[in-house]
Amino acid sequence: MEDILEMAVQRARSLGASYAEARYQSDIKESILLKNGTPEATSVETMRGIAIRAIMNGGLGFGSTNVLGRRSVNALVDRVVKGAGAAGSVRKSPIVMSPAQTTKADHIIRPRIPAENVPLESRLEMLKEADSYALEAAERSDIKLAGRYLSTDALSTERTVINSDGSMVHSIVPRVSVHIFLTATLPGKGAMQRSISHGEVAGWEGAERWDLPASLAKETRTLSRALHTAKTFKGGKMDVVLGPEVVGLIAHESSGHPAEGDRILGREAAQAGETYLGKDSIGLRVGSDLVNVVDDPTLTRTFGHYLYDEEGVKARRRYLIKGGIINEFLHNRETAAEFGAVSNGSSRSVEFDREPIVRMGNTFVEPGDRSFEEMFEGVRSGVYIKNFMEWNIDDRRYNQKYVGLEAYLIESGKISSMVRNPVLEITTPGLWKAVDAIGDEMEFTSAYCGKGDPMQGIPVGTGGPHIRLKGIRMEGAP
Amino acid sequence: MKTDEICDTAISSCLKLGANDVVVTVMKKEESMVRFANDQVTVVNSLDELSASIFLCVGRRKAALNVVDLDKKGLEKACQQAVRIASNMPEASLYAPLPKGPFNYDRKLTERETVPAGPDQAVHWVQESISAAKKAGASRTAGSLTARNVTVHLATSGGAAGVTVHPSLELSIRAFGEGLASGHSLSVSVGEKGFDPSAAGREAGELAKAAKGPKKGEPGTMDAVLGPMVFADLIGEMGRFSSAFYVDAGMSFLTGKIGEQVASPKLDLYDDATDPTSVGASPFDSEGLPTRRKALIEKGVLRTHLHNSATAAKFGVNSTANAGLIAPRPFCLQVGAGEKDVEDIISQVDKGVYVTNDWYLRYQNYSTGDLSTIPRDALFLIEKGEITASLKELRISDNILGMMKRIEALSRQRKWVKWWEVDVPTLVPTALVTGTRFTASSQ
Repeated sequence: MEDILEMAVQRARSLGASYAEARYQSDIKESILLKNGTPEATSVETMRGIAIRAIMNGGLGFGSTNVLGRRSVNALVDRVVKGAGAAGSVRKSPIVMSPAQTTKADHIIRPRIPAENVPLESRLEMLKEADSYALEAAERSDIKLAGRYLSTDALSTERTVINSDGSMVHSIVPRVSVHIFLTATLPGKGAMQRSISHGEVAGWEGAERWDLPASLAKETRTLSRALHTAKTFKGGKMDVVLGPEVVGLIAHESSGHPAEGDRILGREAAQAGETYLGKDSIGLRVGSDLVNVVDDPTLTRTFGHYLYDEEGVKARRRYLIKGGIINEFLHNRETAAEFGAVSNGSSRSVEFDREPIVRMGNTFVEPGDRSFEEMFEGVRSGVYIKNFMEWNIDDRRYNQKYVGLEAYLIESGKISSMVRNPVLEITTPGLWKAVDAIGDEMEFTSAYCGKGDPMQGIPVGTGGPHIRLKGIRMEGAP
Repeated sequence: MKTDEICDTAISSCLKLGANDVVVTVMKKEESMVRFANDQVTVVNSLDELSASIFLCVGRRKAALNVVDLDKKGLEKACQQAVRIASNMPEASLYAPLPKGPFNYDRKLTERETVPAGPDQAVHWVQESISAAKKAGASRTAGSLTARNVTVHLATSGGAAGVTVHPSLELSIRAFGEGLASGHSLSVSVGEKGFDPSAAGREAGELAKAAKGPKKGEPGTMDAVLGPMVFADLIGEMGRFSSAFYVDAGMSFLTGKIGEQVASPKLDLYDDATDPTSVGASPFDSEGLPTRRKALIEKGVLRTHLHNSATAAKFGVNSTANAGLIAPRPFCLQVGAGEKDVEDIISQVDKGVYVTNDWYLRYQNYSTGDLSTIPRDALFLIEKGEITASLKELRISDNILGMMKRIEALSRQRKWVKWWEVDVPTLVPTALVTGTRFTASSQ
């Protein structure tokens, strides 16, 4: 395959492209879905093809094909260069790539238990066992699980990227994930729903680590307790402790997305939106001194792990917020050039037929020094939101809402009764500036982040410790 | 191999290997997408894809697989793999044999003309749209234009066989104005006739201009005039959760509501894949059944869920020809037109908000329909029937069924909506929803 990629890059250059990049990518995804205890269709999806990106006359072209013969790839190169030329002919300012070190690297992850060695029926058995544990827990705790939706994916991604600057990176990365959606009901108390995701860059050993049967039984018991005991939340001004699952999402939505270089430049303005930050926001205080938000793709096993991006740039840890101050943006080579910077390895593409754009890897709040108990000490009246269902954020990443699912009142420094649907609706600086304590234990979760046009749902990690917000006006929901 | 050969070879191979139901779909996609920002083209995307997929049942055991090597050897290998996967799985809860063909398909749907999908024409349209937006008052623009032709060849072991082309031109343009003001508009069409990049640019520009200097909105319960892009987002949710798959999984707010009043008597909602003017049109569903127009909601009453053969068998009804092999899905949603002009609807609002676009719709509970979504772009305060101010930073926090029941008026003008936030092509009017709950950030 490398010779075809090399040929494509050479052809683009010979047609006049100032930069060219060719990528082969293969994604094989095996999916199993268990709905209410019985399997739906099991699917195996293979996406495989070549993508070409080229700059011609200052315009950028991208194209892909899954017909891999030389003739087809040559035709693709011609189309991409022509498209780039058409784009360049109407641009006032040319697109350029920031300088980057030439990379020659292999990044092959060999899992302990390759998913392909685990029969699909064994994977289904794991889901069935977890489902039966959840059902048993529901029966014992006197609720009904009206809907149980459990799925697992095993994904293997192989990429080779070659560019006209001389870089060549080959990688093979396996991922496993599960997604669970439970609907619990209790007559007279309505329904509650819980969505749970786990994902790792790993083989099947990742799935074994999650101990799904035990965790689903626990989640079911929690839903039961909430349905039986949770009171209406009245709201008011109070301290708020947020659990790692919520904190991870906030780090991703309210720190990671605003720091994406392409958003800052308006390149996503009509789709995933813009950001409240500007090109000159480095050094801007948006949070308390305690707040450090990091994006780090290099953390092994995490769902957003990679070592080299789609432009062949080596990934590294990025401090997006340091001591409450905007510290760094996420860049690919195109946005870095606009900022007079160099890429920090943020160029990602979900499949062969998608343009690489600026993406996060694993975004999280750095841990602090408080134990779990200390997070609640001194809180006379507050609320602890452990996890959530509903959330959203505006397209400038400035106003966000999180509605608690498993949530408790805090009274005199202790966790007390459960409450239903506490609503945190707050601005981004309002949230980060209110942080007055950060826990010392980290937890990561996995997600698919949507961005781009056509849409690209890319694997990311989100995480953090518990954090505490001082003096927040909270609302209740019906 | 030709596409019909691929279908025939795969079906006969899978049947020989022990499958009892086989669906083979071959898709050829040709697409140009021009993305632009700050009035400049940021990238021209060019896609050329040929793919095939196999869905089959061995008894009641199901498997789905896509095929990347479309030669005889590759197909044979894929068929063996699909049969092996299905054979090793337990029986599915939902099963019905495939519909028995052959079927006749509507030629208006099988013989549609393709659209020009080259980059030069697409760049020209983008420039036309940007120029119209700027002329209307925009300070800058961003968006995308996609020109696409997808040829689908479907054949089933039930004797269904058909070919169709899905042509589409889709432009999405967002225009920006003074002080965080913005406006968004679309043009969606199956051909050059009806595709109007200038009109979309002009509308986005005019909205951005009218929305200049937005002030923070006050939360509260008010009437909401929902423009087509917002109403299409909500109607898309009604369509999505009409799928019997979600109903069966306990994930739909429409569960158990057939025959019930789920919306205002003013609302008629159809799924219609037979309308050749829709980019969602298709002569057949994924099981090869000829599609048909059907009312999901008539005068506010829920008439049917969306079914494939398997869900229909479980629910004891006939398929609505909305397969999705796993999950039934809407093809193309259409809301009946109302009787008023948009201006008349605004004039009947004493205090309310006119929302022209939204995004990020999320549920607290799918089974109750409690949700929130965020208005974006031009957002206006209405007082005593007049637009009096431009607003920002409000959120709709409500219940979808409650909102549907509080539809007070629909406009006679309707618009096709399909864009980043709304993936099912939807034809909708502007809607007046009374008593809508708006919330805002506390600090």
